[in-house]
Amino acid sequence: MPRLSKIDVVSIEDLATAEIERIFTLADEYAAALEAGKPPAVASGLVMATLFYEPSTRTRLSFESAMHRLGGAVISSADMNASSAAKGESLADTARIVSGYADLIVLRHPHDGAARVAAEYASCPVLNAGDGSREHPTQTLCDLFTLRRKKGRLKGLTVALCGDLKFGRTVHSLIYALARFGANIVAVPTAGMDVPDYVLERLAAERNYNFSTVTMDELKSLAGGLDALYLTPSAPHQMALFTGDAPLEKIPTAEPPPALDAFYVTRLQKERLQSKDAPTSEYVRFDAHALKGHRVQEAVVMHPLPRTTELAYELDSDPRAVYFEQAAAGVPVRMALIAWIIERSGEPRSRTNAQNAAIVFKSAAPPRCASPNCVTRFEAGYLRPRFRLAPGVDRNLLALRCDYCDREMRIEFVGHASRRRYYRYDETLHGYVRQWIEEGTLAVFDSVKQAEEEGYEPYRRGPQREVMDAPAIARALDSMAEQVIADLPDLTGVSIVGVVSRGAILASRICDLIQQKAGVRPPSAAIDVYNPAETVMRLDSAESFVAEDRTIVIVDDVINSGWTVQRAMTALWQRGRPAAVKLAVLIDRGHRAVPIRPNYVGKNIPTARAERVQVRLAPPQGVAPGRARTQDCVVIYSMVESLKEGEDAG
Amino acid sequence: MTPRPETALDSVAIARAVKRIAHEIVERNPEAKALALIGIVRRGAYLADRIAVEIRGLSPREIAVGTLDISSYRDDGRGRPGDPRLIARNIPFSLDGKTVLLIDDVLYTGRTVRAALDALTNLGRADSIQLAVLVDRGERELPIRADYVGKNISAPPGHRVYVRLTEVDGADAVVIGNGNGK
Repeated sequence: MPRLSKIDVVSIEDLATAEIERIFTLADEYAAALEAGKPPAVASGLVMATLFYEPSTRTRLSFESAMHRLGGAVISSADMNASSAAKGESLADTARIVSGYADLIVLRHPHDGAARVAAEYASCPVLNAGDGSREHPTQTLCDLFTLRRKKGRLKGLTVALCGDLKFGRTVHSLIYALARFGANIVAVPTAGMDVPDYVLERLAAERNYNFSTVTMDELKSLAGGLDALYLTPSAPHQMALFTGDAPLEKIPTAEPPPALDAFYVTRLQKERLQSKDAPTSEYVRFDAHALKGHRVQEAVVMHPLPRTTELAYELDSDPRAVYFEQAAAGVPVRMALIAWIIERSGEPRSRTNAQNAAIVFKSAAPPRCASPNCVTRFEAGYLRPRFRLAPGVDRNLLALRCDYCDREMRIEFVGHASRRRYYRYDETLHGYVRQWIEEGTLAVFDSVKQAEEEGYEPYRRGPQREVMDAPAIARALDSMAEQVIADLPDLTGVSIVGVVSRGAILASRICDLIQQKAGVRPPSAAIDVYNPAETVMRLDSAESFVAEDRTIVIVDDVINSGWTVQRAMTALWQRGRPAAVKLAVLIDRGHRAVPIRPNYVGKNIPTARAERVQVRLAPPQGVAPGRARTQDCVVIYSMVESLKEGEDAG
Repeated sequence: MTPRPETALDSVAIARAVKRIAHEIVERNPEAKALALIGIVRRGAYLADRIAVEIRGLSPREIAVGTLDISSYRDDGRGRPGDPRLIARNIPFSLDGKTVLLIDDVLYTGRTVRAALDALTNLGRADSIQLAVLVDRGERELPIRADYVGKNISAPPGHRVYVRLTEVDGADAVVIGNGNGK
């Protein structure tokens, strides 16, 4: 038996429509063969490994049953968290090692994008059996297969998706697939559990596909036979909803209201809620009454099972309840998928995404994926965040999609890593950004402050004027130290923490001044809000920084929006619970975007939004000056932000 | 001296304060920007509902309303009070690009607001976050300040400021109590 071709099924999008059709043809054959009791042993001599980092009885059993029925063998670790993962083995190492034992890996994992990582490191094919709240492609194949069997087609069907549409990974895969096959979707989320924006935006951008969302009550009135729901005939994927308030004569009568073909009901994913996203209203519940209206007469009811309370047991005897058939499809569909991969063995398969190159940032602190459940956050030891350009919704923000978990990020400031220039993004830069991605020179920033901290200069600046010279800065710092001493009588409980890098230099100077004036030197530290690994470092000793019960004075050079201070507080709270936090800034320039106010201010300088205040400081004593300045000063210049038409970004 | 609680705001004054805050919000935020009102459970959430009603009456604009439940937890394993933290949230919409108004009944140490800022920044990239409170009683422990304040009240040491709202307490009033009485 030759090695299987490296065909990974991580997302339903990994399968072309024709490939899905082929898998369904095979699944029909295997369903018939299972009925007849004699499926062909096409997998004889092959070994499948099932790695389940999360409990799932049905998915694992149906995969294992499928492999056995095809004459193959199965090795399994039912509970990975109790084995190597508990010893700290990385997902990449596990995938590499297990590919030496097996011809095929089936993976279920709690982190978004984990299957993509395993697929990249395993030398054999990897089939995703669910990764975090992302995708579950084989469940989607079973859903589509059942729907197609029951209705004879997928194109033009109207499917109502009900319940938890936020965390239900089966639902996200199903939405992409239904859109691809030309079915109509009506979303009926439980309050607060809507389809996430990134799914909607992706559908709109990539497939020009939209669907409407209705409430359970509106759906019930539909089921009860009220003429309340219409598909507008001109736009097959656009639903218009007319409630009782709309005058009846205005309702278009040219097209009869279509019937619903299927209800897809999901389970409330309690395990993904973590008690923070408590649904406010009651979860959906389907009973015999829900299927009474004439418009739902032909509608089948599907559910990925296991059910909790959303499906009444009285429905089970209704011929339209097809969820057990849907579950039974699990074995023939998974047999078909395995057989299809075997069928393709020996074939080279290259599916490269040439026009949308992956972006890996080379800087010391690359941007993190915004999703707290992204696999890149958990496997950070070897996995660098990786993104691709996403179709932008806002022309003044660059959209990047995490290549592992699909979460999108919106970027306001971009830079060129070798020219060390930064720009406020707008669509005129898009061509340059593509070029910089190809060169590997794209850098992205949360803010101007971060760009300048990393040594980037604005693309172009207007005339500058000096607003403070060295003596003025010294006087302002002196006054700040006086304010601290007057406000905080017990200086032994005080720690001074400067925001890297200029805030940290100022923190050391304020410590010197406090020592001169009060005879006590508070411990000092530097806080780096852009580097999650090394957040708070002591400046004056090798001991570790203590936040618990201390009165902490955060020092920064300029306060503008206040986001930096907010991030600094977040970092401090990860170290303990301070008794109090005070904020000292050399300059308050206004334009706050968060409800933060400094306690001690050296100087208030009103500025225009497009102006930039830059504090330039001589290096601390003992540090070789190099290219740095030898005189302190504060300058204001206006930023000239966007490129003019036809102008070169260089 | 007297254990009788002192009324700092009656129902008329509370209604006036809510109206004024809504006016200030509309004045400071141009119509083009989508607003998200996030009330801190419980009384901040009811105030957010009331302010949303007032704003809708003043200007036609997109307003989303959600809640954050931020509570002190008393068990950090060392038998000492811990800091407030996020218990639950109900924010069924995106905060990206929105102007977020965080709404609470009383601003005191600032610790609840800090936890709320943490929770909000974890949820998305808001354009800005502004803070509106019915009562600011001072004595901040963190560098937090409110953008909109119904009334500044300084309570004597050991005293507490109680905000009572019809939705929870049957009547609207802000009273100053001596810490153990109502």
